[in-house]
Amino acid sequence: MRQFRNMAMPYIVWMVVMIVLPMLLIMLYAFTDQGNDVATIRFTLENFTRFFSDKVFMSVLKRSLYIAVVTTVICIFLGYPIAYVIANRSEKSKMFWILLITLPTWINMLVRTYAWMGILQDEGIINWLLGFLGIGPITMIHTTFAVVLGMVYNFVPFMILQIYTALTKMDKSFLEAASDLGANKVQSFLRVTLPLSLPGVISGITLVFLPAVSSFFIPKLLGGGQYVLIGNVIETEFLTSGDWNFGSAISLAMAVIIMISMYITKKVDNDPTANGKGE
Amino acid sequence: MKKLIQFKNIVKDFDGKLVLKGINLDIYENEFVTLLGPSGCGKTTLLRILGGFLTQTEGQVLFDGEEISKVPPYKREVNTVFQKYALFPHMNVYNNIAFGLKIKKEPKDIIEQKVKRMLKLVNLEEFADRNVTAMSGGQQQRVAIARALVNEPSVLLLDEPLGALDLKLRKEMQQELKKIQQEVGITFIYVTHDQEEALTMSDKIVVMKEGEIQQIGSPTDIYNEPINQFVANFIGESNIIDGVMLEDYLVMFEDKKFKCVDFGFAPHEKVDVVIRPEDLDIVPRVNGKLKGIVKSVLFKGVHYETVVETKVGTSITVKMMVSDDHPVYNESANEKMSANDFYLDVDDVDELDEGTIVARANAQAWDPETDEYVSIKEINYSIKKENGNYPVTFSTAAGTSVTVNMIVKDENRVVNKEYQEEFFAVNFFKKADEIHESIALETDLKTWANASAWSLEDGTSVEITNVKYDFDPETVTPGVYEVTFATEGYEYKIDTTDRYEIGDEVGLTFQPEDIHIMIKEN
Amino acid sequence: MEKKKTSLFSKILLGLTAVFFYVPILYIILFSFNSSRSLTKFEGFSLRWYEKMFADSTMMEAVAYTVIIAVLATIISTVVGTLTAIGLSKSRKLMRAVVEQVNNLPIMNPEIVTAIGLLMFFSALGVKKGFLTLLLAHVMFCIPYVILSVTPKLRSLDPNLADAALDLGATPMQALWKVIVPQIMPGIISGALIAFTMSFDDFVISYFVTGNGVNNISILVYTMSKRVNPSINALSTLVILLITVVLLIVNVIPIIKEKKGRKVT
Repeated sequence: MRQFRNMAMPYIVWMVVMIVLPMLLIMLYAFTDQGNDVATIRFTLENFTRFFSDKVFMSVLKRSLYIAVVTTVICIFLGYPIAYVIANRSEKSKMFWILLITLPTWINMLVRTYAWMGILQDEGIINWLLGFLGIGPITMIHTTFAVVLGMVYNFVPFMILQIYTALTKMDKSFLEAASDLGANKVQSFLRVTLPLSLPGVISGITLVFLPAVSSFFIPKLLGGGQYVLIGNVIETEFLTSGDWNFGSAISLAMAVIIMISMYITKKVDNDPTANGKGE
Repeated sequence: MKKLIQFKNIVKDFDGKLVLKGINLDIYENEFVTLLGPSGCGKTTLLRILGGFLTQTEGQVLFDGEEISKVPPYKREVNTVFQKYALFPHMNVYNNIAFGLKIKKEPKDIIEQKVKRMLKLVNLEEFADRNVTAMSGGQQQRVAIARALVNEPSVLLLDEPLGALDLKLRKEMQQELKKIQQEVGITFIYVTHDQEEALTMSDKIVVMKEGEIQQIGSPTDIYNEPINQFVANFIGESNIIDGVMLEDYLVMFEDKKFKCVDFGFAPHEKVDVVIRPEDLDIVPRVNGKLKGIVKSVLFKGVHYETVVETKVGTSITVKMMVSDDHPVYNESANEKMSANDFYLDVDDVDELDEGTIVARANAQAWDPETDEYVSIKEINYSIKKENGNYPVTFSTAAGTSVTVNMIVKDENRVVNKEYQEEFFAVNFFKKADEIHESIALETDLKTWANASAWSLEDGTSVEITNVKYDFDPETVTPGVYEVTFATEGYEYKIDTTDRYEIGDEVGLTFQPEDIHIMIKEN
Repeated sequence: MEKKKTSLFSKILLGLTAVFFYVPILYIILFSFNSSRSLTKFEGFSLRWYEKMFADSTMMEAVAYTVIIAVLATIISTVVGTLTAIGLSKSRKLMRAVVEQVNNLPIMNPEIVTAIGLLMFFSALGVKKGFLTLLLAHVMFCIPYVILSVTPKLRSLDPNLADAALDLGATPMQALWKVIVPQIMPGIISGALIAFTMSFDDFVISYFVTGNGVNNISILVYTMSKRVNPSINALSTLVILLITVVLLIVNVIPIIKEKKGRKVT
């Protein structure tokens, strides 16, 4: 059926034009200075030095990483029990709950984030409920709490689904073997279930951390105009101040930081000594 | 009969790997041809070239005298029954069979008529509406055959079509395929690695190996007169013995002369002699043309596969001196040292060097506290190329020393004239602990005794298959033990209906026409 | 005893999970029917925000653009993605590996990086930002998902199936259409569904590559959210409704089909 091979050709051309070229453009812009004339092109590292030496940008970068890490950690500790509980239910119940968790992810992220704007207001339902308990009102909107909440809300389904898949794919006979060998429930969870579901956690981390670092509408909607993360800086450089070279450099730096974190995460996963965490 | 298909010097190259190395083959009308060979021999590749799914690198395929290499599969008058059937899972039985006819846009009533006829041919009349995924392997197989035959091809290609079926069903389908082929009267080209299938169904068998045709012939030709050892082995389990063709109709093997029906070999040409297990009979020892001992009996469902050893292999017995562990202890230097006597063959004296001496004497020195090895600095010895005891002294830098004997002997080999084999092994010394600790004792014994066997004809090494010893390796105590090494003897497989016991002394007999002489393959 | 405790714990956990995921969605739907402007106090049922929404031409335009782009991007990416996946399944391993790697880039990259890449690419070509750039960008990020969902179906296919069709006289196009495509239909449908929702919901990439007043719903929500505008609630409710209907259709149709199929046999 070699004649079918040719059917992939148009897309291969498209792929080079629409995927590879734009990536190359980012690199080109990141390493050149302004004045986008092919004739006077000049390579420079200045965009990077400017970014990494500026205190304001560095604090934005730190905050972005901090928020992403916190979001990821919360997603793990929230997602794991949920996935675990669902994975241990009957077949029908599993299907129902997974559908229930998947459904919101199909709905526009922006719309779902927007919904929290009302809920978190000083006069919103949370504070209204707290009022009954005699607490509050607590300011939640335009705080770090709101940003992290928005991110967790949007990204935790990815974590749940990844861990759930890892848990259900796991051979149940491992657990039987463990209990046969005298492990109690806690021991067999720590020594069998947890290590075997770790790959699910790892891919969950990838799926949460990546959008969390680069998100820019969640901080804007829930953090307010003053809450700036790295994504917002990139947005400003491209759509307001128009310094594409600098914006490209920041994007590239961010992409590299993400790649490094992913690499470290995978490495930790593969490191056999790291599996002794249950000790 | 008319030549329908001609393969002319077909070569197929997959990324630099030659899968077909120049195939020339003619296939006639109404023939049932089987391409037989082990996996990877190129048989399926050849079939796919004929089907149009692959294009040969070189050569021509003629169909009815016309070159068809450029004709796409959907324009060829050839249909295929695929491995695992490749039925369309989203269609029912009827639609699967009707697929080709619908593509050709035949009128509906004709399609219906033809499909019904096919369903009848393959005994699936009641299954027309059945979903193909809900059918058994045998039924799917029939659908696949019907789907191909309904297009009235002049050739049907079958690619290991029975491979996925169980034994009983396979036998049934073999009969049925042959019946169908006779009924529709077209050429079947059948690919299989199962020689039994090939023998029962085919008019012509093409035996292939590594992209080359080995032999073409009728089943009886192939079975009775395999052209070489590969074909003989592949077509059925056989006894293959080295022999010499003395003259026409007379062959010698196992040092005896036997009448045979083969001729046309050069005088004293070395040949392979093939005798099939079912052609050999076990008779009382006195009546046997060959005599031997039953070595193993295996029940094969309908018969016993009895193995008779007509001659044991070459063997050699050596002495193993087991000693206690008593290393020399040098208190002042805090060193321990040990070594043992060892035997040497006269011929080895010339090539003797210090490394060999250390290894054979197993000389070692160590610090008893840390267990670290101390290197041996000096080796003092003098040796002559004649029998006798020669002392050798090992010493370390700290002055610890041990003296042992090198015992040179010249009676370390056995020559087996009949087999043209020579066997070498020497007596050896070992400590009881080393025997206790050995995890692969037979291999270790071979190493310790320096045992090796080789053919006197061409010097190639002969495998030592038997190691016998009369001690219990777990509990062996100091003393002298015998170890016997032996090579494989001549063995014959015989299919018998009677059960013999292992150890029975029997005779073997056969008729001149049961002996098949083959060109020696090298 | 222990078992009961864990099941109580799991019930509470799952209950809270459901509340967490669905309260915001229900909140939007509820407040879209609010009679006042307030986003926090429900003061009575009314349809005034829906009336306002339908009267608002920018909103209606955004809805139209969103649907048109999503439909076009889905059709194009499903066709191209399916053909590419089939082509790749018959290609050499190396070619397949390279294409799969590059194909994964838009999925693995942060959306904002893909977005600025496209932005600069379009401007380098001198293409005016607007409907065309939006459509091209959507097609670009949808195709990889189609390929990803079709490829596993192709892998589990009997490799001889296409050969069998050719053998029975079908041309390559007929083999494709009558044998391969029906076999991988579930993968194509789920690919199309993913493509549709990805396009329909996309914000980041659209936000960067569009211009000339061509907006989709997400961009509108983003730009309008700065001021209180309950019409956004109405619009969001519309989006939720539409996606839910699409998901229901996709999930329910196969069940109905299966039931019908059972009746026939």
